[in-house]
Amino acid sequence: MEISIEVKNLNKHYGNRIAVNNLNLTVKKGEVFGLLGPNGAGKSTTIDCILGLKSFDNGSVRVLGMDPTKERKRLFERVGVQLQSSSYQGNIRVGEICEEMAALYRSPANYDDLLAQFKLDQYQKQPVAKLSGGEKQKLSVLLALIPQPEVLFLDELTTGLDTEARRAVWDVLIDLKEKGLTLFLTSHYMDEVEVLCDRICIINRGHALVTDTVPELIKRSPYQRLEDAYLWVMKEEIAV
Amino acid sequence: MKKFLTLLKIEGKLSLRCIDSIFFGVCMPVGIMILIGLIDGQNPTTSDAGTTLIQSSFGALATVGICATAFMGIPLTIADYRDKKILKQFFVTPVSPTMLLWVHAIINMLLSVVSALLIYAVAKTFFGYEMMGSKLAFMGSYLLVMISMYSLGLLIASLCRTVKTANVVCSVVYFPMLFLSGATIPFEIFPKSLQTAAAFLPLTQGIKLLKSSSLGLETSPLIPLVVLFGSLVIGIILSMRFFRWE
Repeated sequence: MEISIEVKNLNKHYGNRIAVNNLNLTVKKGEVFGLLGPNGAGKSTTIDCILGLKSFDNGSVRVLGMDPTKERKRLFERVGVQLQSSSYQGNIRVGEICEEMAALYRSPANYDDLLAQFKLDQYQKQPVAKLSGGEKQKLSVLLALIPQPEVLFLDELTTGLDTEARRAVWDVLIDLKEKGLTLFLTSHYMDEVEVLCDRICIINRGHALVTDTVPELIKRSPYQRLEDAYLWVMKEEIAV
Repeated sequence: MKKFLTLLKIEGKLSLRCIDSIFFGVCMPVGIMILIGLIDGQNPTTSDAGTTLIQSSFGALATVGICATAFMGIPLTIADYRDKKILKQFFVTPVSPTMLLWVHAIINMLLSVVSALLIYAVAKTFFGYEMMGSKLAFMGSYLLVMISMYSLGLLIASLCRTVKTANVVCSVVYFPMLFLSGATIPFEIFPKSLQTAAAFLPLTQGIKLLKSSSLGLETSPLIPLVVLFGSLVIGIILSMRFFRWE
């Protein structure tokens, strides 16, 4: 079994506050993994540590077998990242930001195709700032796909999207998953997690409460839906 | 290289789209040159014999473009890109965010060189300006002043944590540099005490160097060179120490 992302004993603190507490994660190749938890639980910090954007106290991180801080250039040819609430250069146009991102990679995806897939092709010449919140969010997912990634990180991928746009993003991701893409995401929407994720980890205050497949977790809880099971885990704070 | 050129093309377009850098960096100094030419161009300056006001102002006016890019363009762009997490985003690509900084350094250099060339063209075409000193010495001095001022601009970007503070600091640095260093108002007409105070501005020393090389004067360039190289080294060392990508 090939492993795409491996996090071992990750610890990170800010001052006195513990942001990530001894976190262990393993994501297999082709798997869709969801990191769930309330705001401030440490999800974005965890992603930042995995990507090498933040240093951590101890533990180890491997993505595609590489250390993200030491082999940054080689690794990010193969990894796409959408950071939470990304923003862009003032008065840059949709086509220009795509061209700029594509220029950074050795074998980028054809962004015209991606724009059509995300129904953003009519906005090519428009300033990014003029897009609606949902269109901007779709654009940020699209930009993360430009490297033709083997591993994709999406931090709150569909926040602010309307139902139709959400479906469009899901369809693209499910399609890519079938082609073997490994996906690491965070989300606050449990319906989305049920549709997309194979396995999830629920964290709170930097602590992993549960790591399991979606059906198993539901089965272990007294409920039928993931949202209820999630709230149950949060309330019980059972550490498994 | 192709990456760099694509970035240069797109980021360059973005820079041209915001009017203030063009206005303050190019239009304003060219306008001042025309004004000086119209007011007093052919007359000799009051103190030193044999040079016209245009001749003695050229070196100073050529730095207005440097001033606008070093104390507005560069620090404000970096602060803005940091605030918007654009620099952070570059960390998760195969390209170093340093490349983005270099792209903007080149864009701003091009802008200030274009500004200087336009001033020269206007002065030559309409007011019969000829550089008395060596053109090569002038270009060397210009380059030194430019990178020295850019290192100070980078330092401002490093020390200011937010776009707001960067904006305030840039205004506080830009306007005194512009008006007190002799870049726009001839240094010679300042009262003695103000001249002494203004001599502490690095740009004042830069203008002294440019002035003497454009006029072919035999004054010792020692103090200006020490100040400019000093600013350059200090700017770079402190920037490396304090620079934050986010």
